[in-house]
Amino acid sequence: MEPLIIQATEDTPEVYFNPEESIFKFSKSSLPENAIEFYRPILSWLKAYQSEANETTIFDFDIEYLNTASSKQIFEVIMLINGISETSDVTVRWHYDVIDEDMLGLGTRFSHLVKVNFEFVEYENDDLDI
Amino acid sequence: MIPGNKLLELAYQLFSRIKDTDFEYIYKGGFSQKMSKKILALAESNVKKSVDRTAMRNRIYFIMIEGLQNVTKHQDNDTDSYEEEGMFAIQKNKDKYYVTTGNVINKDNELILRPKLEQINLLDKTQLKKVYKDILLNSELSEKGGAGLGLVEMARKSGNRLLYNFEPVDKDKSFFYFRTEIPNNASNDSSIPSINDEKSVNDIKEVEGRLNNENIVINFNGKFTRDNILSFLSIIKGHMTTTKSSKKVYNIMVEMLQNISKHTNDIEGDRKNRGIFFLSKKEDQLILTSGNYMQNSHVEYLKNKLKETNNKSLKELHKSYNDVLMDFATPDAQKTGLGFIDIRIKSEKQLNYNFKKIDDEVTFFALQTSIYTDD
Repeated sequence: MEPLIIQATEDTPEVYFNPEESIFKFSKSSLPENAIEFYRPILSWLKAYQSEANETTIFDFDIEYLNTASSKQIFEVIMLINGISETSDVTVRWHYDVIDEDMLGLGTRFSHLVKVNFEFVEYENDDLDI
Repeated sequence: MIPGNKLLELAYQLFSRIKDTDFEYIYKGGFSQKMSKKILALAESNVKKSVDRTAMRNRIYFIMIEGLQNVTKHQDNDTDSYEEEGMFAIQKNKDKYYVTTGNVINKDNELILRPKLEQINLLDKTQLKKVYKDILLNSELSEKGGAGLGLVEMARKSGNRLLYNFEPVDKDKSFFYFRTEIPNNASNDSSIPSINDEKSVNDIKEVEGRLNNENIVINFNGKFTRDNILSFLSIIKGHMTTTKSSKKVYNIMVEMLQNISKHTNDIEGDRKNRGIFFLSKKEDQLILTSGNYMQNSHVEYLKNKLKETNNKSLKELHKSYNDVLMDFATPDAQKTGLGFIDIRIKSEKQLNYNFKKIDDEVTFFALQTSIYTDD
């Protein structure tokens, strides 16, 4: 299956989904006002991936900032990932800055609404030059 | 009683001070180089949108850069502390752009600067050009790197007198206001137009005073387009060290700024995207206040959403958040009020708000919340 690679912009995240390399990752920030449009191709890709999923799939969410428009879309992504977990051994790795209790809270919220396995990965960001 | 009512009223006062085609952006705080860059980015993105002529744009950029560098250069701080308070403002109206900087300087420097400024203001355009050449050719630069060249250039580029004011701080220090007016239509006339110096400087001092009274550190009054919002957010990032509360402030700001954009997007003409946002400090809290036009027809709906959200307990809010997530029939979060729910959860406070009907088309909507700072 063709990988899905989307470069980050100032207000949209980097998406790197590559089944061959077994890397499925969101990073940077997701703040677009029109989140639906941005997430549409991602949702389509995940739907297609479900029928030919790898044996195991780890999704990394390493997102710094997320607006509510995106959080709604990310939940749609997680619902699809939940579906993929029927055909693949799936883990969601939710990364969060140790000082960002809201990001941890959001991941926890998502994890309670679906069956798929969540792992929480704390990191310390000492990079002040954001 | 709601503590922020005064600020909601101030939002409207500041908002209506300027015309819908204009903008005003005032920053108060530390001026590191990194910060200056970010401030410049927002100023640039505003100027770019409103000035067609490249030559004019470049002139404004030059004056902004020179002004910001003057603040960092003249900022007389022994400790080199980042917290040294300065001020930068860019304003635009129909005829002019105004760039104002403000910073604390030692009295010694005031004594050097004053005659330089006085002298420059006596010159016409031809004389300025000559002085500029003279300095370039044979001046020995002063210790701080200023032979007045920057000042002469600013006078030349603006085609106007340089405006300034020294406000005594204590017996050793003054606050130096420095203001440049750049006319939208530069004339070829070699004379320098006369400006009411005192009035122009007092205008900005008056606004600054109102911001000072409420401890407002940053104020953006203008168009909330995507580019402006992103530049504004990057300034806020640069403004804060990364702490628990700054993450919250940033996240809430994203929602508030995008709310302005959302509510003003369907308004016709000059009022489209028009809003105001400011950040103020009060004791151990950071207060976020936004204000914008919205169509009268949306007011009732929004009022109900706000009431509904305010009446919920934290537990109920969490449930509402989940309900919105699970509501797959409404994929667009913007139509669900999730933003308000999110702000309520993050701030753990009631939302303060006010609606003020302007005319048959629009209402001014002000919204406010606050965050306890942890540093």
